[in-house]
Amino acid sequence: MAEITTNEIGVADFAVREHRSLWGDAWRRLISSNTARLGMVIVAVFIFSAVFAHFFWQYDARTDLDYALKLKPPNLFPTEEISSIHPFGTDKLGRDIFRRVVHGGWNSLRVGLVAVGISLSIGGLLGLLAGFYESIAISSLERVFLLAAIGLFLGFLPSWIAGQYFQALLFAGLGAIAPYLEGIFTGRRARMAVFATIGLLLGGIPALLVSPFTALVCAVLGLLAGVALSLQLGGQLFSGIIMRSMDIILAFPSYLLAIAIVAFLGPGLDKGMIAIGVVGIPVYARLARSSVLSVIQKEYILAAQSVGEGHNRIIFRHILPNILSPVIVQTTMGLASAILSAAALGFLGLGAIPPEPEWGAMLGDSYRFLTSGAWWAVLFPGLAIMFSVLGFNLLGDGLRDALDPKLRV
Amino acid sequence: MTRFIIRRIISLVPTLIGVTFVIFMFQRLIPGDPAVAMLGEHAAQENVERIREQLGLNRPLFLDREALKEGDFGGFFDSQYLRFVGRLLRFDMGTSIHRRIPVAETLKQRFPATVELALLAMIVAVFIGVPVGIASASRRNSLLDGVSMVGSLVGVSMPIFWLGLMEIMLFAVFLNWFPSSGRLDQSVQLKSVTHFVLVDSVITGNWKALIDGIKHLAMPTIALATIPMAIIARMTRSSMLDVLQEDYIRTAHSKGLMEQVVLFRHALKNAFLPVITIIGLQTGSLLAGAVLTETIFAWPGIGKWVYDAILGRDYPIVQGGTLLIALIFVFFNLMVDISYAVLDPRIHYE
Repeated sequence: MAEITTNEIGVADFAVREHRSLWGDAWRRLISSNTARLGMVIVAVFIFSAVFAHFFWQYDARTDLDYALKLKPPNLFPTEEISSIHPFGTDKLGRDIFRRVVHGGWNSLRVGLVAVGISLSIGGLLGLLAGFYESIAISSLERVFLLAAIGLFLGFLPSWIAGQYFQALLFAGLGAIAPYLEGIFTGRRARMAVFATIGLLLGGIPALLVSPFTALVCAVLGLLAGVALSLQLGGQLFSGIIMRSMDIILAFPSYLLAIAIVAFLGPGLDKGMIAIGVVGIPVYARLARSSVLSVIQKEYILAAQSVGEGHNRIIFRHILPNILSPVIVQTTMGLASAILSAAALGFLGLGAIPPEPEWGAMLGDSYRFLTSGAWWAVLFPGLAIMFSVLGFNLLGDGLRDALDPKLRV
Repeated sequence: MTRFIIRRIISLVPTLIGVTFVIFMFQRLIPGDPAVAMLGEHAAQENVERIREQLGLNRPLFLDREALKEGDFGGFFDSQYLRFVGRLLRFDMGTSIHRRIPVAETLKQRFPATVELALLAMIVAVFIGVPVGIASASRRNSLLDGVSMVGSLVGVSMPIFWLGLMEIMLFAVFLNWFPSSGRLDQSVQLKSVTHFVLVDSVITGNWKALIDGIKHLAMPTIALATIPMAIIARMTRSSMLDVLQEDYIRTAHSKGLMEQVVLFRHALKNAFLPVITIIGLQTGSLLAGAVLTETIFAWPGIGKWVYDAILGRDYPIVQGGTLLIALIFVFFNLMVDISYAVLDPRIHYE
C-alpha cells in the first residue's frame, strides 16, 4: 500500500490557508470586477491627466486668446489653413479646447475633493454623534454640557429682549446644575415647579431694570425655559436637534440651495465648492446615523461599554471602522455628484470665473454657438464631465459589491 | 395608523418653521437692498426711505424690544419676520419687485408648465425604467443585464444640461424635427383654461396646438426623464434581485408556475416598495423645478423663474417660489413615509 502524504489529499492547503484581511479581500474582489476595473482606469486617467497638466503643462488662461483661430473644427493634422493641431477644435476665442478640457480636470478634481471633504467631515461627524447618543445614554458630564448649552440657547431670547446679556449665562448655569437638582427633587411635578420658579426669577428680575412689560415677557419666557430644562433631556433631544436641522436643509432642492448659497457668497470656484459641500452635509449625516444605528446594538459595543471604555473610544475605535464601508461607497459616488453639480453651477455662470478653464463654464460659454454648427465646443467638455462622473460611479458601484461582507468567500 | 400619520404631520411643524426662517434669513443675508434694487442706483434718498417703509424694511428683523419697553405689545410682534409669516398664512406672496405682477399670478402660469413637464418625464421614466429593471433582474448577468446596467449608470452620470444641448444639436439644428425652446410655437393660438398645454388643447379641441405642444415637450421630457429613469431601473433591479432569492419564489417556481406569473404576481409585489419610494422622491424633486432643463429649453417653469429671481434680487418671488418648492418637497417626503406605513404590513409605528 502506497504511503499517502498530507500534501496529496490537500489537507495542508486547507489547514495553513493564508490569512486574508478584510481590506485585502475587498481589494481582490474589486480588481476582479470588470466594471470596477473600468471605473478605476477612467478615474486614474482623469486624475493623472489633471495632475500632470497642472504641474507640467503650463497654461495661462488670461493670455490664451487668438481670434484668427476662432471656432475651428477639430483637426488631427496640420493643414494649410491651420498650422497647429487641435484635436477637440477651438472655441469662440480661438482657444484650444483639448488643452482647456485637460486643465479643467484639475478644477473639477479640486471641487470634488473639497466639496466632499466638507460634506463628509461635517455631515459624517454629526450623523455619527446623532446615531450614537440616540441609542446610548449620555454620561453625566456630557449631560452637564448639553443642558448648559440648551440653557444658553433658551436664555438668549429673554436676555436679548431685556438687553441684559448676562441673563443667558444665568440660564446656562441653571442648565449646568440641572442634573444635580434632579437628584434632589426626584418627583416630576416638584422638579418642574422648582425649575419653573427659578426660570421665572432669572428671566423676570434682571428685566425689571428695563421696564415692567419687558419683565413680564421675560419672566414668561424664563418660566418656559425652566420647564424645558426640567424635562430630563438627554441624547434623544441632541440627536433630534441635529436630524431636524438636516431635514430643513433637505427641504430645499439641492441645486436651488447651492445657487442661493453662491448668490450669497458671490461667484467663484471656491465659493461653489463651499455651496456644494454644504448642500451635501445631510446626505452624509443621514447615512452615518443609520449606519451607526445598525451596528450599535451589536455585542461588541455592549462588551466595550461593560469594560468601561469611554464614549470617544467606543465611537472612534469600535463604531467608526464598522460603518466605514457604506461611507467609502457614498464618498466615491459623492465625488461624482459633486463634479456634476460644479459643472452645473459653472454652466449657469455661478462657478468658475470666465477665463478659468472649467467644464461646465466652457459649456455655458459656447452653447450659443451650437446653432451655427460649432458642435465640438459643446461635445468635448460634456464628454469630459460625463466620463469623469461615470468613472467615479463605476468605481463606487464596484466598491459597494467589494466591501459587502455578505459576499465574502 | 391614523396616529402615526398625525404624529408625522406634527413633526413637520419644526421643519416648516425652520424653512420659513431660512428663506427669510436668505433675503436678509444676501448683499443688496431690495428698495435700491427696485428704484435703481441713483434714486433719491427719500424715495428709497418711502419704499423701505412700504415694504416694511424699516421694521426690526424678529422682535421690537424698544416697543415693548413702552408697553406696546402689538409693536413688539410687528417685525419683518412675523409679518412675513403672517402673509404666508394668508397665502399672500406679495408682488414681484421688477415686474410689479403679483407672485401668485405668475405662479399660476408657471407652475402648470413645471408640473406638465415633470409628470410627463416621470411617466416616461417609470414606464421605461421599471420594465428594464425587471428584465435585467430576471436575466441576471446576461448581455441584456450588462447593457442596461451600464446604460443606467451612464444615465445617472449624465450632465442633463449637456444631454439637452446634444438633443438640440441633433434634433433641432441638424435634423430640424423638434423645436428647441418654449411650450408652443408663436404662430399657434391656444386659449388658456388650466395653463396645461396638453389639457387645454384637448378641452378646446385644438389639435394643432396639441401636436405642437407634444413636439415642444419631447426634448425636455427626455432630458429630464434620463436620471430618474436610470435610478428607477437600478432600484427595481436590485430590489427584484433581493426578492428573487427568497424561499417563496423557489416554491412558486417548483409549483410549476410560469416565469411571468412568478415575476409579476409574486416577486414584483414585494419588490415594489423601495421603487415606490424612489418614484415619490424623484417626482418631488422634478416638481420642484428643473433649473437646468428649463434654462436650456427656455421652458417657462418655476425652476428658471426662481433662479432668475435669486440673481435679480426679486425677493417676493424668491420667497414665494422657494417656499412652494420646499412645501412640495416636504409633502412628497411625507407621502413616501405614509405609503411605507400603508403598503408594508411588517412596518408598525407605535
